[in-house]
Amino acid sequence: MLQALKVENSPFSEQQVQQLQQSFGQLDPQQSLWLSGYLAGSMAGGPALTASPARLSGTAMAISAALSAAAPVAQPSPAAAAVPQKTLNILYASQTGNGEFLAQGLAQRAEQAGLTVQLQSLNEFRLPGLKKLEHAVFVMSTHGEGDPPDDAIDLFEFLASSRAPKLAGLKFRVLSLGDSSYEKFCECGRELETLLLAQGASTFGDRVDCDVEYETDAQAWSEQVLDWGKQHLGTAADQAPAQRLVQPQDLNALEAQSISGNLSLVPATTIWSRSRPFPSIAQRVQKITGLESGKDVFHIELSLEDSGLRYSPGDSLGVWAFNNAELVSKLLRRLDIDPGTRVALDERNRSVRENLTRYREITRLTVDTVRQYAALAANQRLNRQLDGLDEAQFREFIEARQLIDLVEAWPPEAAGRIDASALVGILRPLAPRSYSIASSQSIVDEEVHLTVATLRSNAIGQQREGAASQYLNHELQAGDQVGVFVEPNRRFRLPEDPTVPVIMIGAGTGVAPYRAFMQEIEEQGDERDSWLIFGNPHQRTDFLYQREWLKWRDQGLLSRIDVAFSRDQPEKYYVQHVISEQAERLNDWMKRGAVVYVCGCLAMGHEVERAIAQALARARTGESEPGSEQLAEVLSGLRRERKLLKDLY
Amino acid sequence: MSTDTTPGTLSGGQAGTGNQAPLTAVEGIKSRSNFLRGSIVESLADKATGALAEDDTQLSKFHGFYQQDDRDHREERRRQMLEPDYQFMIRARVPGGICTTDQWLALDKIARQWANGTIRITTRQAFQLHGVIKSNLKPTIRSINDCLLDTIAACGDVNRNVMATPLPEQSALHRQVSEAARSVSAHLTPNTTAYHEIWLSEDGARTKVAGTPDKEPIYGPTYLPRKFKMAFAIPPRNDTDVFAHDLGFIAIEDGGKLAGFNVTVAGGMGVTHADPATFPRLADVLGYCRPDQVNAIAEAVVTIQRDFGDRTERKHARLKYTVEDRGLEWLHQELERRLGYRLDAPRSFEFTHSGDEYGWQRTDDGLWHLSLFIENGRVADRGVSRQLTGLREIAKIHQGEFRLSPNQNLVIAGVADSDRTRIDQLVVAHRLDDFRRSSPLSSTPWPALAFQPADCRWPKVSVICPN
Repeated sequence: MLQALKVENSPFSEQQVQQLQQSFGQLDPQQSLWLSGYLAGSMAGGPALTASPARLSGTAMAISAALSAAAPVAQPSPAAAAVPQKTLNILYASQTGNGEFLAQGLAQRAEQAGLTVQLQSLNEFRLPGLKKLEHAVFVMSTHGEGDPPDDAIDLFEFLASSRAPKLAGLKFRVLSLGDSSYEKFCECGRELETLLLAQGASTFGDRVDCDVEYETDAQAWSEQVLDWGKQHLGTAADQAPAQRLVQPQDLNALEAQSISGNLSLVPATTIWSRSRPFPSIAQRVQKITGLESGKDVFHIELSLEDSGLRYSPGDSLGVWAFNNAELVSKLLRRLDIDPGTRVALDERNRSVRENLTRYREITRLTVDTVRQYAALAANQRLNRQLDGLDEAQFREFIEARQLIDLVEAWPPEAAGRIDASALVGILRPLAPRSYSIASSQSIVDEEVHLTVATLRSNAIGQQREGAASQYLNHELQAGDQVGVFVEPNRRFRLPEDPTVPVIMIGAGTGVAPYRAFMQEIEEQGDERDSWLIFGNPHQRTDFLYQREWLKWRDQGLLSRIDVAFSRDQPEKYYVQHVISEQAERLNDWMKRGAVVYVCGCLAMGHEVERAIAQALARARTGESEPGSEQLAEVLSGLRRERKLLKDLY
Repeated sequence: MSTDTTPGTLSGGQAGTGNQAPLTAVEGIKSRSNFLRGSIVESLADKATGALAEDDTQLSKFHGFYQQDDRDHREERRRQMLEPDYQFMIRARVPGGICTTDQWLALDKIARQWANGTIRITTRQAFQLHGVIKSNLKPTIRSINDCLLDTIAACGDVNRNVMATPLPEQSALHRQVSEAARSVSAHLTPNTTAYHEIWLSEDGARTKVAGTPDKEPIYGPTYLPRKFKMAFAIPPRNDTDVFAHDLGFIAIEDGGKLAGFNVTVAGGMGVTHADPATFPRLADVLGYCRPDQVNAIAEAVVTIQRDFGDRTERKHARLKYTVEDRGLEWLHQELERRLGYRLDAPRSFEFTHSGDEYGWQRTDDGLWHLSLFIENGRVADRGVSRQLTGLREIAKIHQGEFRLSPNQNLVIAGVADSDRTRIDQLVVAHRLDDFRRSSPLSSTPWPALAFQPADCRWPKVSVICPN
């Protein structure tokens, strides 16, 4: 059964392929099934398979059945349970899934190393249990303007309140994730550490703050945690499989494998990743805002044919876009650098033009890039200007500009000189952009659809475009290739119960995942009520996917549409105003168990969240101006019950 | 044959062919509409679409507006997953084509604020505004009513804007005929309170007093089988094309005063291309009436068409087909039966021209009138031609009125000797003097629905009756 296994379709070397074929070629189908299930099960944590059968897909159920019938070795042995060991608690709060991914990776490796691990999302962590913790690591991400992920809000409030317990018995370490192009980089990780220390806890290592390119730093941190754990918590290396109290979502890795490959030895989701994106072919690039619209929004259809990539409504797609070739040429011309100059980077020797086009950020500045540029350019005017900026002003300065703006306004002086490798050296690695997927595979099959607005800024009197949106909307053409990978977002899924109503609130391209939801509802024949609340400037030109919403409404699949076209009347009117006006209806839907989704920009998200809290607090308390405590309580309840799900950027 | 004159007997298919064909879809929409309400209020409230619900697009015509879409961008918008670019044409009735300068100024403002910045003069002496989006319908219609014009029955299966010769030489005669036109227009205006309720009340609230159901004493709940057109002509001018109308009144004068009218019936020039069952028909002169009999005669003809018009085939639903199917004599007898008296024999009259004479003319009362050529009836500011601005400036100083001609031109009527120069200066300054140039500007294309069917002109008709 392994004849089809080749180097080209697997992660194995020629030698490994031969060995595998020799070792496993003799197995009968039953034995192969058992083995594949065993491998998959031990990857994900065996006991979990029986812990939460509701989460199992059909295939995973089959594996589970196979395991429990034929694999006593997969059950924790009484001997293993008896060995006293200290538990490493791995707690995470993640909005996009990166933190969760890292926490799971650490948990897996810790188990392999024989540690006793308890992996938990902060959403599931019971706050009173905090004072009993002895050894914990926290993986904490930061969003927007220094905001914690939803799952961590309650923890922060608890730690900052008078109810916060003494934590003298806790040894901990923090890994924080963030994006240095935002002002409060990794704020939440820092804040968490401060709060825990204030309660008497101590660290067993330095906090590490990771930027968008988090892999290397996170890896090093994990190694240190493992080493420390092995020394201080005790191991049980001879036990297999490891003991672990597993949370249900760990099964998703197994589910994903079983969906794509049906027990294939090569789980498809592991082939294509951020570092190894699938070369997708663009099939359609279509502008979907009307003539005279101030918005430049495109519908983009990409092929996933033969990739084996699977995604669910609510997931995002990572896209590796290139920088604009003309912009790169212009930069190099201004800096008097020959585009063909070779620069060694990441063990590769490429032209500076290629490095700038495909491997380095030139449209997003960082504090470091600006400072280093100023130093290299020896431009006194720039240095003086930067010296006069406080932190917030510096942030504004950066947000309003791209590299080309620096080069044009403050070119290198005679004393300064920026050569090709210096230039590449001061720039951040190019990061993929993430877009909420606008399609459901139940309808589009081996395609993925995106809704992309060209990011345009004119802050300093020069129109500048965002690299990726400009690339996707105005350079990519049908037939071109673009590297993509799936970024699962399990926090933004349709309720599994097909009768639970959904309220979908989105402004601008925030409507994208709801198109995926509606495709899924249409294809699955869900009986749920659905309510779209959409906002954009003008009805006539900016109602993205208008025909489809109207069609779904005509078919009775979409129960209700409310729209807020902000500039169709003298007073600005936004989605949060719809929510305030529809407070009673919202409360009725919530009483019927509805889930509210919010997707779009951060600023809108905050307003919407506030409007929802106010509407519900009013309805529940009967007070016209509920206090901030009541609002916080409503929101906390919604988060706890997973009734308010957000995808904000 | 039924002689029932109760309004609204839904007895379609009684026309001469005697067929048992089903009623047209529009008949169903009318009969379900609760006196033209339909779901217009709900359609207006639905912000997700720029369109009305389908049935409401039929009912909207009775309220004076049509739903259209920009065909040039239809395909592009389909690819963009946007619905067609829906816009509305709103028509305002101007009985006899007479409009005060205050009304013009109000309309000018409405056109710039809510529509596409143009005012169109139609071949029925009415105004049309184009490019109004759904959310602006209510304020637009409301503003039109605020200036004492209205849009009800400007389209739809009812009596449309009543036309009258705008500029006869005798001013007293013109005054009397205009008054008759206004009076019959008001007499035949639908009675439903739906119009007031939807457009003029605050936030579409139902303002009708409970227990007083709507009544349409003339039309009944399903109105007419099709549109009904009426015109007055003052010989020797036939600029209103009186023989092309369902019902016409030709003024007969006696010493500069109005004596009465010859009544004409069953005209209509509309044909459907390549459909031999449709044909143009010139009206017949049926008899003569006194001015105070006009409203009764109009009501009787309208109710005859209401009761006997074909409601199974819209192409066959005009009065001319009813008369062709049943005979002119039948109509004559039915009319006199409903009136309870006989029409006198028609009087002599002569039509010698139908076009507009551009430039200044003086009437017997000593006042001056300036007829301006308006290309396609479209008043707009385009390049150097600032006609919309020009007429606004003139309206601000003009002491008389504006009159709309059936040839889509505009007359600045009732100018005193002393004001002529100032008005002339404004006319020249805003390029309103196209009529003085040898060749008019080339016409520009216009969205298809904006076109009125080209009326057939009969330059000279002379009927000599033995008196």
